[in-house]
Amino acid sequence: MDRAHIILDNLSIGYNGQPVLSGISLTIPRASFTAILGANGSGKSTLLKTVLGLLPPLAGRIDTASATFGYVPQAIQFDPIYLLTGFEVALMGVYGRVRPGRFVPQAERAFTRECLRAVGAEEFARGRFAELSGGQKQRVLIARALATRPDVLVLDEPTAGVDITATHAVLDFISQIIEERSITVLFVTHDVGLVRDHAQKVIWLQRGKVLQGTAEELLTPERITEILEMGVG
Amino acid sequence: MDALQQILSPGFLLRNSVYTSVLVGFACPLVGVFLVMRRLVFMGVALPQISSTGVAVALSLPLWLGFRLADHGTHSAHELAFVGSITFSLAAILVLAFMERRGSGQPEGRLGTAYVVAAALGILLLSQNPYGEIGWLDMMKGEVIAIHDSDLILTAATLSLVLATLGLFHKELLLVSFDREMASILGKNVVFWDVLLYLLIGLTVSMAVLSVGPLIAFGFLLIPALTAHLHARTMRQFTALASLVGGAAAFLGFWIAYRWDLPVGPTDVVLLGVLYAAAWVAAKLLPGGSRRLHKA
Repeated sequence: MDRAHIILDNLSIGYNGQPVLSGISLTIPRASFTAILGANGSGKSTLLKTVLGLLPPLAGRIDTASATFGYVPQAIQFDPIYLLTGFEVALMGVYGRVRPGRFVPQAERAFTRECLRAVGAEEFARGRFAELSGGQKQRVLIARALATRPDVLVLDEPTAGVDITATHAVLDFISQIIEERSITVLFVTHDVGLVRDHAQKVIWLQRGKVLQGTAEELLTPERITEILEMGVG
Repeated sequence: MDALQQILSPGFLLRNSVYTSVLVGFACPLVGVFLVMRRLVFMGVALPQISSTGVAVALSLPLWLGFRLADHGTHSAHELAFVGSITFSLAAILVLAFMERRGSGQPEGRLGTAYVVAAALGILLLSQNPYGEIGWLDMMKGEVIAIHDSDLILTAATLSLVLATLGLFHKELLLVSFDREMASILGKNVVFWDVLLYLLIGLTVSMAVLSVGPLIAFGFLLIPALTAHLHARTMRQFTALASLVGGAAAFLGFWIAYRWDLPVGPTDVVLLGVLYAAAWVAAKLLPGGSRRLHKA
């Protein structure tokens, strides 16, 4: 739990040479549940994309210890024009292990079904992805991320558009897999309640500064009032 | 039925035109499916026009270099047109795709400007070239008449290459189209797969423009894919149905055109339009149809 899995050392992140956040130095422990919290435009997504390797850092060093990432994006970003079933979307998680031009082996298909079963999505995964509910899509996307056999599971507002029952089910499941599979979870959200209930560590992006600590240390009533006044999203 | 028997006869004089139309009809929707899914319908309009401008430039080259087109013979003219078409198609699709990725400005405006400037440039070039103008106007009208064996073989070989590549790398092309970020995280070279897809689209468009003209190429690229999307439930059905609609419309269009002495290309496109309208009405009437129409 205390061993560092991801280390950011004096990191500067942003787009087209323009920094959004600078001087970020923090560590994310192995097999921990870390929440990234911050207001609109505070750089949550930029930080996430930099950790995932989708954006190059502007300066500084990032050490992910050659981690394999499983990424769970927001379900609303997918175009419904694609006629893919939930299973076909989840199957994409194994594509990184299948060489171009090759069929997906039966063993990988079976593993994808296993991942869908683990998140309770096996039943509805036969339906069209675009027609699933928000919570069902989120489970399929988590199954897809698990199918990559990740060391680090990165979730970008996984409860956006998901009802409260499904939200708790998703979060309980994530807490469970941290214990079972020793996966490090990095979780972007604006839901302070969820952070308090589930996160062991909080990274709070506030006015260009990065604070880190436990939920109890950072989520004081004063700070929460401040967040609400800033308009979190 | 007499006309149909003639068309199906092995000794039919215009058999190469039938084969070429059907080949284009089957192949264009296969890349059209990706244009529709990536919401690049305007690119499907602009590309054939830019490709035909490439033909216009190619057909003007002999004049600029001081040769008569007749000196080169029909085959040379066709090869020249192929080079012009493919060069312009590939250059245009790579530039437009690059600008699309940068995401600045108005994509529709860029494509609309590219379309209209390409059309005007083609007319300007060929107004100065009496030899080129004849062939170009035939192409614009979609006259699929005189197709040599060598042209048919070139068309078949090119489209087979496109089909084989699409089939072989379908999962990579689909992943990059559906979720670029996931593809990057999985270690896929997103730029490589994008460029490959654009090359396949460019190659198909060039071949279709040379065989049936820009208007008809646009029709076969997009209308079968839009029609199939109304009724398909899976990606496999979507692709197969789009290709079947294109191939069937190409054959039926040729038959109708031959039977009533109409130009083949415009007949094909009108037929595709009728099929699309019928599919839309059927989707509206069938259970769950409104939802499908909304999603498309």
